[in-house]
Amino acid sequence: MLRSIANRILGMLVVMALVLTIVFIIVRLTPGDPAAIMLGPDATAADVAELRHRLGLDAPVPQQFLTYIIGVLHGDLGQSIFLNQPVGQALLQRAEPTFFLTVFSLVIAVVIALPVGVLSAYYRDTAFDQAMTTIAMFAASIPSFWLGLVLMQIFAVQLGWFDTSGYGGPGASFAERMQHLVLPAVALGLISSALITRFTRASMLDVLNDDYVRTARSKGMDEWRVVVRHALKNALIPILTVIGLTAALLISGAIVTETVFGLPGVGSLIVSAVLRRDYPVIQGALLVVAGLYVLVNFIIDMAYLAIDPRVRY
Amino acid sequence: MKRMHLVLATAIALLSANGLALAQEKGGVIDVATVGEPPTLDPMASTADLVGIITQNIFETLYTFDANWNTTPLLAAALPDISSDGMTYTIPLRQGIKFHDGETMTSADVVASLERWEKVATRGKQTAEVISGIEAKDDNTVVITLKKPYAPLLPLLSLNNAAAIIIPAKNAGQDPLTDFIGTGPYKLEERVADQYIRLTRFDDYQSLPGEPNGYGGARKQYLDEIRFVPVPDPNTRVEGAVAGQFAYADSLPVESYSKIEGGKDKPVVLKPFGWPVFVMNTKEGLNSNLKIRQAIQAALAPNDMLLAAFGSEDFFAANADYYPEGYIWHTDAGTEPYKPDGDTEAAKKLLADAGYDGSPLRILTSRQYEFHYKMAQVAQAYLEAAGFKVEMIVVDWATLTQQRTDPAKWDIYITHSPFLPEPSLTGIMNDSSPGWWVSDAKHKALDAFNAESDPQKRAKLFEDVQKVIYAEVPAIKIGDFNALAAQAPNLEGVTPAPWPYFWNAYLTK
Repeated sequence: MLRSIANRILGMLVVMALVLTIVFIIVRLTPGDPAAIMLGPDATAADVAELRHRLGLDAPVPQQFLTYIIGVLHGDLGQSIFLNQPVGQALLQRAEPTFFLTVFSLVIAVVIALPVGVLSAYYRDTAFDQAMTTIAMFAASIPSFWLGLVLMQIFAVQLGWFDTSGYGGPGASFAERMQHLVLPAVALGLISSALITRFTRASMLDVLNDDYVRTARSKGMDEWRVVVRHALKNALIPILTVIGLTAALLISGAIVTETVFGLPGVGSLIVSAVLRRDYPVIQGALLVVAGLYVLVNFIIDMAYLAIDPRVRY
Repeated sequence: MKRMHLVLATAIALLSANGLALAQEKGGVIDVATVGEPPTLDPMASTADLVGIITQNIFETLYTFDANWNTTPLLAAALPDISSDGMTYTIPLRQGIKFHDGETMTSADVVASLERWEKVATRGKQTAEVISGIEAKDDNTVVITLKKPYAPLLPLLSLNNAAAIIIPAKNAGQDPLTDFIGTGPYKLEERVADQYIRLTRFDDYQSLPGEPNGYGGARKQYLDEIRFVPVPDPNTRVEGAVAGQFAYADSLPVESYSKIEGGKDKPVVLKPFGWPVFVMNTKEGLNSNLKIRQAIQAALAPNDMLLAAFGSEDFFAANADYYPEGYIWHTDAGTEPYKPDGDTEAAKKLLADAGYDGSPLRILTSRQYEFHYKMAQVAQAYLEAAGFKVEMIVVDWATLTQQRTDPAKWDIYITHSPFLPEPSLTGIMNDSSPGWWVSDAKHKALDAFNAESDPQKRAKLFEDVQKVIYAEVPAIKIGDFNALAAQAPNLEGVTPAPWPYFWNAYLTK
């Protein structure tokens, strides 16, 4: 057991090292120059070269990489070129909206998807099932930014229930800040629920015809007790996987939604960093997102061990 | 009908800006939606418009521009006393001006700030080449001596980007700037990156007397607070304006005019705002051949390009003149090669004369500004009709700003500019600016223009500059276009301007 866990952790470290290297190389290969962006459209080539030198961007790439690696190993993700603050601090400042947006979206997705998926499987091939399957297909194919704009148009512009964008402004209370997450969370949650619904349905269909379910029924057990206690419990492993992956996807998938709703989260930080080539922020943010992704997968794997005694790594 | 609404909206905005509306009361907070987070809050360190728009409320320069784009004193007490040879500028300073930290501005601060400007700012570095000395004559007078007469000096000291701002001498050694202490009507209270930049009224501010006059004149400070909120997505800015979430929303897509008209904020049109331009790479490749550049000028059809880019004639004008009517620099001298609907036959002939070998003409553009891309698409069709083989290089803006510095990578790049108050600040006038236009005729016309200090004589000399531009085609001006913003009905006192400012803005009940 401990050895399995150690192996998984070793694997995670290898993945993180690969991510770190690949992101560093891709960022350096991408054309564009933070110095040119900072100095503005009328800056001369000499000014740009001077600023590049001051920022250390003209140093040989292997030297920059070595400096970066040493920094990361000491827990230093570097200094943002544009924000004039350490990358770690910038990420922490933006963690709150991203964290709560992910949690709210996931709660909305699971609250919708689990009952709908179970009912669809139970009432397989009925009108209800077909309607839910069609809606799920439709929802899965909607781009999140489009749904976001539609929700914004209805609930912010027409009804005036919410602000169209932002995170509450100076001195906003926690409740006010959370209010700004409602529309983006609904947009992300609805779309994510489609995938979880389909997995729940498929997984339930697999187990509903298994022998132990038939046995439970033949013992005269209450039907919903059979479905929930026996079938759903055993169908949970693949569902848990997809919920975990959805959570990880939401962390990075919130990029577009955060940008549309002007939320100052990790997603919008990544977008603005890419647009202005803030290399340290891109590297740091992607490293953290990849780390969370790997961590979520690790937790799921560990949950398997706890849920299903047959699982061995 | 739409045109009537547009004119009406502009008229209302202008009338209110002229101070005809009454009931200006102190108080209130406004949210201003901007196109994003500024790369810096040091206006010396960047030429980006966004930096200037925000920081002009915090920092001030010795001079600024009045409503007619004439240079007018701001921190200076008067226009400079210029020696008869045009080489010495003696600048009297206003007395008792306070910085946001409570210190009083002296000539030592001005000298230190201008020296920093020479070292840090793009425009300052260029100007440093003609400056031989900056000295404090006494506590309230500064003297700038030049190596040769240089008329653009005052406009350069007046601009709000790569700006010659005056900061305390003790902060002038900072690069990057970390203490944002200025003399402006609003001071920086708080910056939360990607959320807001909060400015509050500076109570010790000493406004010029009288009435506001463009960026000059009195600065009234009605509002308690101005918050600049970055909203990078243009659709979200539009929705926010329609919902009335922002008192002012900047840089909106012109196609959203009707939608905004039906919302809570009202549209404000700046007509004209600026000009899109195709910059030619005169240094290397196809466009080092003048005949090819002339063929491109003949082939392009500005009317169709502008229609594709802006959708309605309400938002553009096919105008060849580098400055529209209303500017002192307005002239139609030399503009004969500009054909609003193109002249394909003339282009074919010029192309044949040039001995064009069929090499692809590479147009470098970006979709960051969708109208650039739309113009490029129409241009491609017209250029191909004239016999060019065209290759479009579509990249993001960050890539474009880097690639345009390499003459091996492009033949034309597309950009735009507001109408700068001083023509010599336009990119192509600088020999080292991407495009690298250098010629004897250019230098002759531009040197004479820059050496003359009399505005009327300069206006006449600008005719020669424009003639050389059309003769040598270092760039092709496509036309004029308007800018769209949105403003809350209860926000008054905001004059439509390329860099909107809010020190005279006030809220009505």
